[in-house]
Parts: sequence; C-alpha cells; structure tokens
Amino acid sequence: MPFISKDWRSPGEEWVKTVEGWEKKKILECANNKTLSLLLRGDKDVLDKKEKDKKKENVIQPHCRITLKCTRELVVDDRSKGQRVKGSNSRKIQMNLIAGFNGLSDALKRLDFLSAVHDRRRFNYIVRLLDLLVSHRMGGLSGCAQRVLFNMLEEVALEVSLSQQQTGKLRRLIERVRAFSAGCCWGGRPLGSVVLWEKHKAALERILQIASSITITQPDEEQQPQWSDLPTECRREVLLRLSDPRDIEASSEACEHLAILAQEQRIWRELAQYHFTPQQITTTRQHNPGKDWKTIFTIARRSFGLREEYAEIIQLCRNCRCLFWRSLGHPCIVDQDPAFQKKLADVDRASLHVPIPPQTFLKFFSL
Amino acid sequence: MPNIKLQSSDGEVFEVDVDIAKCSVTIKTMLEDLGMDEDEEEVVPLPNVNSAILRKVIQWATYHKDDPPPPEDDENKDKRTDDISSWDADFLKVDQGTLYELILAANYLDIKGLLEVTCKTVANMIKGKTPEEVRKTFNIKNDFSPSEEEQVRKENEWCEEK
Repeated sequence: MPFISKDWRSPGEEWVKTVEGWEKKKILECANNKTLSLLLRGDKDVLDKKEKDKKKENVIQPHCRITLKCTRELVVDDRSKGQRVKGSNSRKIQMNLIAGFNGLSDALKRLDFLSAVHDRRRFNYIVRLLDLLVSHRMGGLSGCAQRVLFNMLEEVALEVSLSQQQTGKLRRLIERVRAFSAGCCWGGRPLGSVVLWEKHKAALERILQIASSITITQPDEEQQPQWSDLPTECRREVLLRLSDPRDIEASSEACEHLAILAQEQRIWRELAQYHFTPQQITTTRQHNPGKDWKTIFTIARRSFGLREEYAEIIQLCRNCRCLFWRSLGHPCIVDQDPAFQKKLADVDRASLHVPIPPQTFLKFFSL
Repeated sequence: MPNIKLQSSDGEVFEVDVDIAKCSVTIKTMLEDLGMDEDEEEVVPLPNVNSAILRKVIQWATYHKDDPPPPEDDENKDKRTDDISSWDADFLKVDQGTLYELILAANYLDIKGLLEVTCKTVANMIKGKTPEEVRKTFNIKNDFSPSEEEQVRKENEWCEEK
C-alpha cells in the first residue's frame, strides 16, 4: 500500500493490517506465532500458511534496537571551556535528548511483553515495569503505548486469575489505573482520541471483571496432609523463602501458628541479609544497639531500600545497542561480522551485556 | 552401575542407581556409615515415604542427577522464587496434599534441591496475598481472638510506615 511518511520524503514503513489496527511490519518481525495469530487478521488459511513459512525460517528472538548515543555533539559542559566531560551530568542531558527516538510501544511489542506475561520467570519483571508506568508515567504515554499497556494489563489479569497467585499486585495495578483514568480523563474532556479512550474504558471493564471473579480454590479438606499437618521446620522453610516483608506480615496475620513463626529472629535476620550488604547491616546495628532483627530490618529498609531481583531480566548488548531477554539472546552484529569478532577476541562476552532493571528500561524512552 | 533397593512404607520395592539414591543425604550417610557392600541384596526401608511419593522423588532425582551440588552455606539463602525451571514447575503441578508429602519426604530424606523447589512453590502461593486469601489458600482457620488480631496488625503497621 502506498504510504507517505510524515516528512513527505522518506519511503515510509511497510504496514500490515492487524486486529488492533495497522502495525509496522518491522515490529512483527520477531513476534512469536501466538502473538502473530492474535494480531494478524484475515482468513485462517493465510494465517496457517504464514505460520508454516515462519517455522521454516529461523525464528528470531524478541529484540529491540535502541538509540543510546547522539551523533551530534550537543552536550558541552560550560565550566570545562568546551571540553566534553564524561560526567554524569552531561550524560543525563544526552539521555533525555536521545530518548525521543525510541518508542515505548514499539519496544514493548518487539520484546514480546504480551506473551511474556504468561512466563512465570518474566512475570515479575513485567509487573514491576507496569507498576512504574501506571504509577508515575501514565500521563506521558502516547495513545498507542497506552493501548499496549491496557493489553498487557488484561494479560496480567488473566494470568493471575489462572494461577491464583500475586492477587495483591493485580489489585494494586488496577487501583492505580483507575485512579489515573478517573482523575485525568473521564472527569473532564478525555485527552487524545475519544475512540481510543472508549476502548481503554472497555478494556478496564474487562480487567475488573476478571479480577472480581478470581476466587481462590480451597484445598480438599479430606486430603492428607494439610498445611497445618506440616511440621514447624517445614513451614519455617517456606516463610524463609519470602523476600517481601509484606508477605511475611500477611502470613503472620493469617493464623496464630504463623504469627509465632514470623516473630522468630531468624526470619528477619535472613531477610535483612538478603536485602542488604553486610556493611549496611553492621552500620545499622552499630547505630541501633540491642534492637531485634525486625527493627534492624525496618530501619535498614528506610535508609537503603529493598533489593530487586528477577529470574529473567532485559539486557542491553553494548555492541549493537539491542535490548533482549537474557535467556533468549538476540541476533548480535558481532556474530555476523568477522571483523568485529576479531576485535572482541579477548573480551569477555558476558561483560558486553548489561542487565536493565525496570527503572532503567523506562529511561531509554521519553515519557 | 550398582543399584540399591528402596522399600516404601507400603512395601513396594524400587531399584535405583546408587548415584541417584545418594542425592538423599539420609541414604548417602546411611550407606557410608554402614559401609554397605555393593553386591549385597539388602533392602533399605523408608518407613516415612509411601510408594506414590517415592516414585515421584525418584523421578525428580533421576532428572536432576547431573545437577551441580547445592551451595553449602545456609546463610544468605536465595529468596528468588520465580526461577523454578519449567520441568520442575510441571513436575510440581500436583494437588496440595502431594506437594506437602513431597516436602515431608524431601525433609526426611534430606534432599536439598527438592526441598528448595517445593518450598518455593508453596511460597509462591503466599506471595502478594491478603491474610484472608492466605487462610483460604491453605485452608487454615483464623484462630486469633479479636484483640490478638488487632495486636498483630498494629505491630505490622509500625513496620510498614515509612
């Protein structure tokens, strides 16, 4: 289909019609079959043929190239008389200038966030990212990114209702989205496209419906053994694997036995040792002599914050400036270019990949 | 490969590779302490594990026989619970009763890896839930008196305030 780009000069993009409207072909490049079948509309035969073709080709891992460096020398530090300083200050300005080139919605689609929601290992990363987005950045998102966000939220709701886990996180997300939509858009005139907002509203309705219908199935009472039949040492083992203090507190409010367990020093000591460095703990203990571990943990948490850890995380390849999921890898320019390979012969490959926590991920985009 | 015979509580005998059976520290120390001869036709009784669970435990141990040994130190445990491998996740798609029996067996036989992954699975059932939801999940009764409940909540509130 003929297409004239915004500036009337460039050849423009190739577009494909999908259920969710027109989509750039390059974004669909690394979507997996499931996402493709969701997105592409048209008769099934065509789809099946496409899927077969797709299987014949090499499957491309979800990845997304981004712009990190500006080619123009825009950032000059005045104090150093025109010399560029590699300080954090100048870097920051650069980041903000560049961020405009990267589209969040494209990245979310290319990195296959939508189907990744159903992967246990990636779920937490995505939920944290969504949390950051809906809590602080919702207003700055483009209409397209908002649509992707609502789609992801719906997938999260489905996943939570299926697994009956992490209900609290879903509730929190919904609360935030509702607060945002109520405050900013539907009270007065909606920002952006009215049609789009109608769709968001419908999506939110569906999400609420899913969330309200989640009921936790109780285990069969006849069945042996039950949770309460487990010896204390086994139940303690379970509590020791909770990394969020809120989960320990919720269990302590559930029944007396768990409340007694949650008071044990060992639970809070190991929690502190997990979240803070030995040095941070020593300092906190020196400043608060004679305090129990729960208090030490609470004080240290206020000063140092909690540690975040994900089973699966987005990484950035420093060679090709490509974002990708750690376990899936990405098609790297290094593998295609022998000259590059020679140059990197004595460099540790692992050091070229930088883990990108959710907060950093969002910094690549202008929001 | 030398084999060893394990007998479950209900009398079924399983013949297992010694290397696989040794992932259980209980069996390993027993073999070392007793100095069991390899050609001996001795049967090891495991009175705390029934045949259904023992079969599952052996299945798990066979799959994980080439895993690197778990780190020794008990301190600073890994608290990630979302890194359960897909094989383990499928293996543990069982009802709660079986899951608890596996925990008990892993605890009794002292199989660190199995205890780890089963406890993680149960921990995931707690994560992000309200006390009421935790009660429902585990079918436990709220045995607090109203004043006790208030007290626990107050203690926790103090922790939460920033």
